[in-house]
Amino acid sequence: MMFEPQRLHPISALINFIKGLKDAILPLAAVLFLNSNRGDGWLGLLPFLISGLMLVIILAGGIIKWLRFTYWLEEGELRMEHGLVVKKKRYIPIDRIQSLDFSEGIFHRPFQLVKVTVETAGSSNAMEAEAELTAIRKEEAKMLEEHINELKKSSQEVKEEEGETSRQLVYKMGMKDILVMALTSGGAGVVISGVLVFLSQGMEFLPVDAIYDEVIDWLQFSFLFIAGVVLLVLIVAYGISVLLTILRYSQFSVFLEGGDIIMTRGLLEKKQVTIPLNRIQGIRVDENLIREPLGYASVTIISAGGSQSNDSDHSLRVLPLIKRKNIEEVLHSILEDYQLNLPVQRPPQRSLLRYIARFVWLPVIAATVLSILFYPFGMLALISVPVFMWLGYLSFKHAGWNIENNQLTLIRRFLVKQTYIMKKFRVQALYSDQSLFQRRAKLATIGATLKSGIGGERAQVWYLEEKDTHHLLKWYSYEQ
Amino acid sequence: MKEPTQRISIRALTLWRLYGIIQAGIVALLVMGTGVLTYLFDWPMWPILSISIVLALIIILNIGIIPSVRWKRWRYDVRDQEIELQYGLFIITRTLIPMVRVQHVDTEQGPLLRKYRLATISISTAATTHKVPALDEREAEELRHSISSLARVAEDDV
Repeated sequence: MMFEPQRLHPISALINFIKGLKDAILPLAAVLFLNSNRGDGWLGLLPFLISGLMLVIILAGGIIKWLRFTYWLEEGELRMEHGLVVKKKRYIPIDRIQSLDFSEGIFHRPFQLVKVTVETAGSSNAMEAEAELTAIRKEEAKMLEEHINELKKSSQEVKEEEGETSRQLVYKMGMKDILVMALTSGGAGVVISGVLVFLSQGMEFLPVDAIYDEVIDWLQFSFLFIAGVVLLVLIVAYGISVLLTILRYSQFSVFLEGGDIIMTRGLLEKKQVTIPLNRIQGIRVDENLIREPLGYASVTIISAGGSQSNDSDHSLRVLPLIKRKNIEEVLHSILEDYQLNLPVQRPPQRSLLRYIARFVWLPVIAATVLSILFYPFGMLALISVPVFMWLGYLSFKHAGWNIENNQLTLIRRFLVKQTYIMKKFRVQALYSDQSLFQRRAKLATIGATLKSGIGGERAQVWYLEEKDTHHLLKWYSYEQ
Repeated sequence: MKEPTQRISIRALTLWRLYGIIQAGIVALLVMGTGVLTYLFDWPMWPILSISIVLALIIILNIGIIPSVRWKRWRYDVRDQEIELQYGLFIITRTLIPMVRVQHVDTEQGPLLRKYRLATISISTAATTHKVPALDEREAEELRHSISSLARVAEDDV
């Protein structure tokens, strides 16, 4: 039955409609706002007619999209066809399918449906990297997954006996951790910028000139009021972001199944992400300035392939927030051959000034310019200089490297302290940089490139002892 | 670790100088154009002065200094198991690419490069691309062959 062309669940039409509506919301609002004050008789109704027509078109589009979309399995390929005028076909060889990710939105849950995202091993076009089945029944999705696994296995002559082991829970995020994460997340910034964008868009639809004079009058004695409103907006945005984070990450769990890591999360919208273990290129531990003093860090898996959507970095965060001291134990149960907390070698003392200079030069120039341009008060900008000196010092203090058998650890800090742990056979290229001044001081910078998504990710440590970088290059060299 | 030993073709020097001369020629045209305009319309002197300074810099740097320094710095080695590159003007970068990580090798040749019988070879891994500019044509061809035969797909390849 999987081998006959299948349609998605009818609810897809509704989901398509809502998606279309989301994209069309600004034009719709524009039509309504722009014309709202010039209406006598028949002409006054025009905007409503137009927006009504738009709604109908979007709705019809959603339904047609659903009607024309079919998918099935044939000849070891997952095949999809869609499109009204231009028929589009996408055939994905099952060998190329890396994983199926399931997620359930609020429309899916009442009907026991899931959205299936097909992850392949990367493609030349990041936007088209994934294929999506908007809504299919859960049993169907399970069946599809089984079929794909079976076909994969038969073509790969049964890779080991690991296949049928059941899911094993290796980590579950505690409510307290989720709360701390929500409170310290940068998500508030995103919400606030969203609100600002919306306001700035909205401004264009208001009869600005007419109310301008009034506003100016009003501004002068209600500055405090405005400040209050801004503060309120910020607090509300922060609250929303905290709530969203809690919803998104509640019940965050990590499982091991066969050769895959499986992460599930979400209260209203359930997400499931699968990372094949043999795709893992390395791991990164992040500690930012807010979470680090509280003893928290996050762990991200650097994995090859998959789609390069905005979300992908988040989706590969295998431990979104965890006490620093617990990482080693938890990580060991997920990826046993990565070692954390090894003693690291630091850059030499004479690098300290270079680190500080690296952080300070731009603020110094900026502050000088500001001080000259806005003489007395511009001098306040000079306060930033010691702050950046402190950041430079921190960057120096935390930088380091370690080699343990075939594992390379590089620790760097710009604002976030990042610990990269990688295996020799996963590093795509190792390089060292050295300016002529550094050559005289016998210092050099080391860097390693890992494959990540469809691109690369660089880990770089500045101003190490020259002989250390030689040691690192020698370790990486395959020649004896 | 000892530094790589192979140099790129000496003809690269001539080619890079030629690039510099082309750039300088374009800017020189600009200078002349601005000069005429300044004369005809009584323009202030600063536009022509600044463009002239740019021209002087291009002549000194892009024709004089940079090509020779760049050529002197460029070194590479292709060994059985790895490729090593070393290059840079002020910051010298040394890169190590294991053969097992190499995915494919290309040579490319523009019209000017062809005239000087030179070719650029680019070595791609799964995540990075590295270029060796201006190699002798025949050498580049040989190199491409030897790299692609040395670069075998490893077990844990991505």
